[in-house]
Amino acid sequence: MKMASHRENNIANYQIISILGHCFNQLAVVQLAKFIPTGAMVAIKKFDMDKIKEAYLVESEIILTRQLNHPNIIKYIVAFVSGPQVCVVSPLMAYGSCRDLLSRHFNEGLCEPAIILIIRDVLDALDYIHKKGYIHRAIRGSHILISDNGKACLAGLRYACPIVLNGKWQRSIHSFPSTTERNLNWLSPELLEQNLKGYNEKSDIYSIGIVVCELSNGIEPFAGMSKTLMLTEKVRGYAPSILDSTTIPRDENIESGGDCEISTNILNRRFSDDLHEITNLCLHREAYDRPTAGQLLTHPIFKNNKRLLPLPELLKPALPLSDRVGYDTV
Amino acid sequence: MPLFGKSTKGPAEVVKALKEAVNSLEKGDKKAEKAQEDVSKNLVLIKNMLYGTSDAEPQADIIVAQLAQELYNSNLLLLLIQNLNRIDFEGKKDVAQVFNNILRRQIGTRSPTVEYICTKPEILFTLMTGYEHQEIALNCGTMLRECARYEALAKIMLYSDDFYNFFRYVEVSTFDIASDAFSTFKELLTRHKVLCADFLETNYDKVFSHYQRLLNSENYVTRRQSLKLLGELLLDRHNFTVMTRYISNPENLKLMMNMLKERSRNIQFEAFHVFKVFVANPNKPKPILDILLRNQEKLVDFLMRFHTDRAEDEQFNDEKAYLIRQIKELKPIQGH
Repeated sequence: MKMASHRENNIANYQIISILGHCFNQLAVVQLAKFIPTGAMVAIKKFDMDKIKEAYLVESEIILTRQLNHPNIIKYIVAFVSGPQVCVVSPLMAYGSCRDLLSRHFNEGLCEPAIILIIRDVLDALDYIHKKGYIHRAIRGSHILISDNGKACLAGLRYACPIVLNGKWQRSIHSFPSTTERNLNWLSPELLEQNLKGYNEKSDIYSIGIVVCELSNGIEPFAGMSKTLMLTEKVRGYAPSILDSTTIPRDENIESGGDCEISTNILNRRFSDDLHEITNLCLHREAYDRPTAGQLLTHPIFKNNKRLLPLPELLKPALPLSDRVGYDTV
Repeated sequence: MPLFGKSTKGPAEVVKALKEAVNSLEKGDKKAEKAQEDVSKNLVLIKNMLYGTSDAEPQADIIVAQLAQELYNSNLLLLLIQNLNRIDFEGKKDVAQVFNNILRRQIGTRSPTVEYICTKPEILFTLMTGYEHQEIALNCGTMLRECARYEALAKIMLYSDDFYNFFRYVEVSTFDIASDAFSTFKELLTRHKVLCADFLETNYDKVFSHYQRLLNSENYVTRRQSLKLLGELLLDRHNFTVMTRYISNPENLKLMMNMLKERSRNIQFEAFHVFKVFVANPNKPKPILDILLRNQEKLVDFLMRFHTDRAEDEQFNDEKAYLIRQIKELKPIQGH
């Protein structure tokens, strides 16, 4: 039988170097490893199947990801079983996730060129996913990974759902993603409402708007707010914004100095009108008013990106996890 | 051909163009690259006729009917599936989407595509062997599960020799393919209750000797999934005869008792759901009763301490209490 070359399916061919992080509610670990036959550095995600109740989520994420092929979507090289673990091997994303970058180096957000480059890549991936008939349903900073050459890759496909059901392209979807508590702040009002109208792929565009805020502000809107309040705010049409001198009422902040202290850096900075505009476009209360991923990509903000510095330059002082750094942390 | 806007090609032309392109792809001649392009282009055209796109509705029924008729007459479905490995990555998925849509076609209560495939079972056999090839396995899987929804097609697959290859496919080292094959395998064995029960009864020895290998697999996921499915099969009332036969064999009981003690808690738990059927059987054959009696005290002791942290699972606790009581009350058969 012709199968993936057996070297890749054998855990003995991977030398584990360090732990990169945890995911799947701490039931999966991501490790940095060297594929011994070629010396390539890879990330191995190991799911502890004896502890995971929702085994179908692990399965469906792997099967879906394996059926997508796009430079800005995480690629799974191979998935195999080793003992009670399911191991998924993917190329190393040397800068980690956007969430990691924000937490470690950019507490007050990334610079505008970096945001533009990342969002453009994510929109490219999203345009492809939507055209292939899926809604991602979990677009958020922690599901956007950055490679050593500065390419953003979308991950987190276990929450995705098909638009094509019963042999038809559905105009709206009503299913609610399972185990999605941690994604709620990014989800659109219509998805959260769970009413008869349902939602469609524009729901992901709303999440893009939240991600722009997350990348700009260093933290996603609604963070720390109660779930009910977050829902009410979204449903009544409150649209979050990226924080800069134009969106923070100045005198109010100076006088209050109370419960929320905003750094002068944020108070004085100024994002471009274009960035404000795409944020607002994505965060329209009505899905119909939001552009598609394809339409967003034609926005002037994504033109002439060649003049921007490459992402790795913009992300300094953050450094990619090179082979060397990896070995040093053994 | 209009320079701008949509192509106005009708179903007959698109099907003809696609067939020619697949044929030249199969030959692998110099024009292969052009052929690949034509295959992709025409597949997308057909797909859009059937599904519509995010900004266009699907074609009218009459066009879809013509398209289906052309597909049957040209034998294109089989040709596409036979050449699936030669079609590019996105094209493979388009084939599956076209196939699945056409399969669901209905005229009143009739399913013309299902009737068509019944006359061309090679389509099913070719799809089943798709699991041998990593690059098309998942595409074939989605088509197979769609076929398995129809009793007539499920029957052809269950009763074919190729069905037994599933016992190998569900265990392959590539996780996604093994999982996908297992979903199809499960669908075939559970979807149409009466058909499945008949099949299992008629082929009991062959199926369960193969099944035994899955339960002893070195692959944790295979072992767990097959054990869980075994529990579901035995507890389905349609499979009463099969269940009775299974729980009369002392070897099966020994296997479950060993699995109760496995290191993995999930496997222990699934084994419990099969083990309980042996104990609950009011007419235990002597060999089964002997084993239970020989281990009476140990079993009671074991079950008292078994998964005590599942306090919130009422049904499990009730069942466990029931088993403990049953085992405590076991007595040797009087007389001979």
